[in-house]
Amino acid sequence: MLSYAEKIREIAGRLLASGAVNMVIGFRQGTIPMMNEPHFAKNPAEAAKLVWDSHCGINLANYLTDRKEKIGIVAKGCDSRNIVTHIIENKIKREQLVVIGVPCQGMVDKRKIALKCPGEITAVIETETQVTATGNGFSQSFDKKDVLQHNCSLCIHRNPVIHDELVAAPVEEQKGIDRYADVRAVEAMSPEQRWKYFEDLLSPCVRCYACRNACPLCYCPTCFVDESRPQWVGKGQDPSDVRTFHFLRAYHCAGRCTDCGSCERSCPVGINMRVFTKKLEKDCLDLFGWEAGLSLDVRPPLDVYRPSDPNDFIK
Amino acid sequence: MGIEPGRLQFSWISSAESTKFVEVVTQVTNAIRALGPNPDFTKKLAEVA
Amino acid sequence: MKIIKIDKSLWAPGLNQAAAAYRLFGPVKEKEFHSFKPLTNGVQPDLSCLNTRLSPKAIIYPQSEVMFDYSLDESREDHHQMREAAKDYSPRAVIGIRPCDAKAFELVRLNFDTPDYQDPYWLKAYESTTLIGLGCESPCSACFCTSAGCGPYHEEGLDVLLADAGDHYLAKVLTEKGAKFLAAGGWKTAAVKEADQTIAAMRQTAEKKITSFVPTDNLRSLPNNDLYSATFWEDVSFACINCGTCTYSCPTCWCFDIQDETRGASGVRMKNWDSCMFPLFTMHGTGHNPRGTKLHRVRQRFMHKLKYFVDKYDRGIQCVGCGRCVRLCPVNIDIRRVAVMMNGFAASGEACAIE
Repeated sequence: MLSYAEKIREIAGRLLASGAVNMVIGFRQGTIPMMNEPHFAKNPAEAAKLVWDSHCGINLANYLTDRKEKIGIVAKGCDSRNIVTHIIENKIKREQLVVIGVPCQGMVDKRKIALKCPGEITAVIETETQVTATGNGFSQSFDKKDVLQHNCSLCIHRNPVIHDELVAAPVEEQKGIDRYADVRAVEAMSPEQRWKYFEDLLSPCVRCYACRNACPLCYCPTCFVDESRPQWVGKGQDPSDVRTFHFLRAYHCAGRCTDCGSCERSCPVGINMRVFTKKLEKDCLDLFGWEAGLSLDVRPPLDVYRPSDPNDFIK
Repeated sequence: MGIEPGRLQFSWISSAESTKFVEVVTQVTNAIRALGPNPDFTKKLAEVA
Repeated sequence: MKIIKIDKSLWAPGLNQAAAAYRLFGPVKEKEFHSFKPLTNGVQPDLSCLNTRLSPKAIIYPQSEVMFDYSLDESREDHHQMREAAKDYSPRAVIGIRPCDAKAFELVRLNFDTPDYQDPYWLKAYESTTLIGLGCESPCSACFCTSAGCGPYHEEGLDVLLADAGDHYLAKVLTEKGAKFLAAGGWKTAAVKEADQTIAAMRQTAEKKITSFVPTDNLRSLPNNDLYSATFWEDVSFACINCGTCTYSCPTCWCFDIQDETRGASGVRMKNWDSCMFPLFTMHGTGHNPRGTKLHRVRQRFMHKLKYFVDKYDRGIQCVGCGRCVRLCPVNIDIRRVAVMMNGFAASGEACAIE
């Protein structure tokens, strides 16, 4: 995976030099450990700044919405699924895109690593299988597989589902993964326990909307929380308003979410709001056999009516 | 999300099924009345900090 | 300047004693990170905390704050009248606030306390609060306080500055308010004469640990319009997702929005933090938004902090270098990098536009 960066730069440089695309969207080196910044390159010189490592967790499909240029975009498995979803939802055209596919082995979770280290991490280096975090008076190495983002550790679509270029041979997909243990645990709770569980989960929320805005699905021109006529949700910190925001946002992602983890990764206070979207993802799989963003040719389940659609919930 | 069972119900009623509509609405209203208000998800007037 | 020696064995008992006269707040770790919380039932502040995840500004300036309430119930004498919400402005003390966060209140004050208008909510809360600062021994790598007119032992805005001297704290009394608080804690042992030099030495050691520097010297003289029209804003703003993480975690961001909420025959008027990153922030009633794109909004945030504020108040930048926005931005937009670009901006040529 460490050779990906060079290959990305080569492909991006070629696409820009030949005029095949107007810009290439990827990542450039971050200014602090375990962070990279989404970046657009408009010429081969800028393309030389593109990087790739285990800290490229932000979903770049988010940067495609309604763009008019011809774009080269670096895409992991989850990014590619959101690109498919974007195309299906008419937020970008397939012809505008050159997808530079990146077979992914998962992104590391900077919070997990920070929690395992005794002080501030000032530098992080990585090999194919390990990351080493150093700080004042400590240096600790971790196997990447132990410190992956939770969604990455459960991922079964690491290879891009659509691509025009591929930076390396596909990686082996994870098999036999139990993707929904956490959802089942919540499902097993009594309504009272569940209410309390979500109350605790959401208590640190400051409504910065980083989860919503990092999500490629959340492209509404005006989000329902921002509507003022009528105003659906209060703007303050009342727990019922905070909860309404999180639940409705999750429902709007039903049948569309790819569990890319951008929402959780972006949260400044570490809320795992994926537990909501995962429940919907699980239901879509159980009820409709559906996983979002795998094909350009199949309409999503909430988009079509089939006589065989389950309707046991209707009395 | 932790709302007690019975508070949320779905029905499929054709525009021609007026009797069923009345039955369902009556039944749902009675069921919800029996459950009483849901204090958890009732927004209180903002408290003075 | 008086310096009191507080033996660490007397620290917790003293705080418990002060709690009789003050509502105490301090850094407390919950789950992953520290926040400023009320210290009730003898909970002790965790002074080992590097700094809290979010700034302590909410203690003075809550994210949601009721300003007025009213009732339409005609059996009440004051029906149909807006009443200033009754609040508890009894003395409070914030223990272990970092010098950067204390100085931030001084900058925010410029907005809430002007010759023409005084915000009573902010001012009363501020005036009722005593700030017991803790010198910062281990600044984080993203901290750049010394470039922002502040520093790890900076005193501006504090009532007492504590320096951790091993088995005791040296408490430098900076204001009358601070002296009162120390008296309430029962700490009165005067420190040795050399204590001042000890603190000065600690300050120097701490300042040497700062590794981030941000140039600000040119900002004032740069022409506003040229900076506004600089081409680097597209590069700066591309990654931005327009969330409120930077502004909500910032100790110096002060913008708010006013909302009315009603319940039956009564209601409140409240202010809620707002963010220049949000599309709604400058939305006009007509539906027109003069800052309609994220480029506009990102530019506004940096221009406000690093240019308009500098020009308007002549008090340096509207930033204390706490590094929170740098650490928390989900897409790694770094104000230090932007400051370098702005400060190095040359109207013609834009020598360091993208680097």
